[in-house]
Amino acid sequence: MSLAVKVGDEIPELVKHPTTRQLVQYAGASGDFYEIHYDQDFARSVSLPGVILHGLLKAGYVGQLLTDWVGDRGTLKSFEVSYRGVDVPGKPYRCRGRITKVDGKNVELDVWGEDDNGQKTTLGTAMVELD
Amino acid sequence: MAATDVVGRIKAHIGKTQKPVTATVEAGHLRRFAESIGDPNPRWNEEAPPTFLVAIAPTSYHLDEAEQYGKGWLNGGNRFEYLEPVKVGDRITATGKVADVYEKSGSSGNLLFIIFETEYTNQHGRTVARLRGTAIRR
Repeated sequence: MSLAVKVGDEIPELVKHPTTRQLVQYAGASGDFYEIHYDQDFARSVSLPGVILHGLLKAGYVGQLLTDWVGDRGTLKSFEVSYRGVDVPGKPYRCRGRITKVDGKNVELDVWGEDDNGQKTTLGTAMVELD
Repeated sequence: MAATDVVGRIKAHIGKTQKPVTATVEAGHLRRFAESIGDPNPRWNEEAPPTFLVAIAPTSYHLDEAEQYGKGWLNGGNRFEYLEPVKVGDRITATGKVADVYEKSGSSGNLLFIIFETEYTNQHGRTVARLRGTAIRR
C-alpha cells in the first residue's frame, strides 16, 4: 500500500504522557545519567523548575511519530530537532508533523512537540523516502 | 580563570576524534530502550528504533574544561541521518568528535555551544548512521 501524501497534510499526532518513572527508565536505557532528569534538588540548583525531560527522549517521541506514520511503506532517512524549551513530567506532550514537500518518493516534513499550553518546545524537520 | 581562557581551551578540542566505542546491539537493550520511550512497535524486537544509537555510546563526551563554564548542560538539538537499518546482533562502532565550539550571548547571560558529531559503522565497515548534537553550557 502506498501513502497518498500532499503538501500541507498533517500526519496522525502522537500524545505522550511522560512520568518521572519514564525519565528514570530512559536514563537507564540510554546511559544519560545527568541528575537534572531524576534529582529534583539538583535540577532546582541549576535554575530548572524541577526534573525535566531528556531532549533525546523528546527526539525519541518524534522518531516514534515518524515511524508510526511511515510503517513499512517507506524509510526514515533523517530527522533533526531543536529543543526550544524545557518540559516536565506529569504533563501531556503532543507530537505533530506536517508535509512540506513532495518530490517523487521523497517527502519532507516539519515536525514539532507541544507542551500542554500549546507551546512548541521541540521544532524540527524530517525526510522520508516512500517505497 | 577568565571565561575566555576556558573557551579557548575548549576550542582546542575542535576536530579531535575520540577513541571509538564498540558494542553489540542486544535484543534486551532494544526492548528496554523502546519501553523507556513508550513505543510498543514490535518492529523494535529486531531493529533499532530511530534514536537508539545514542545508547551505544555517549552522544557527547566529557570535557573537563567545559564544566568550568556556566553551571549546567542543556541539549540544544540533535540531527539523525540513517544510511542502513541497525539490527539485533550488529556490532556497532561509534566514533565521536567535537565539530565546533562557539559562544553566544543569551537573555540570561552567555552560553557556550559545543557541536558533537558521531559516526556509527557496523561490523561490515559500512556507515549506518550519523548523529549531530548541540550541547549547551549555561
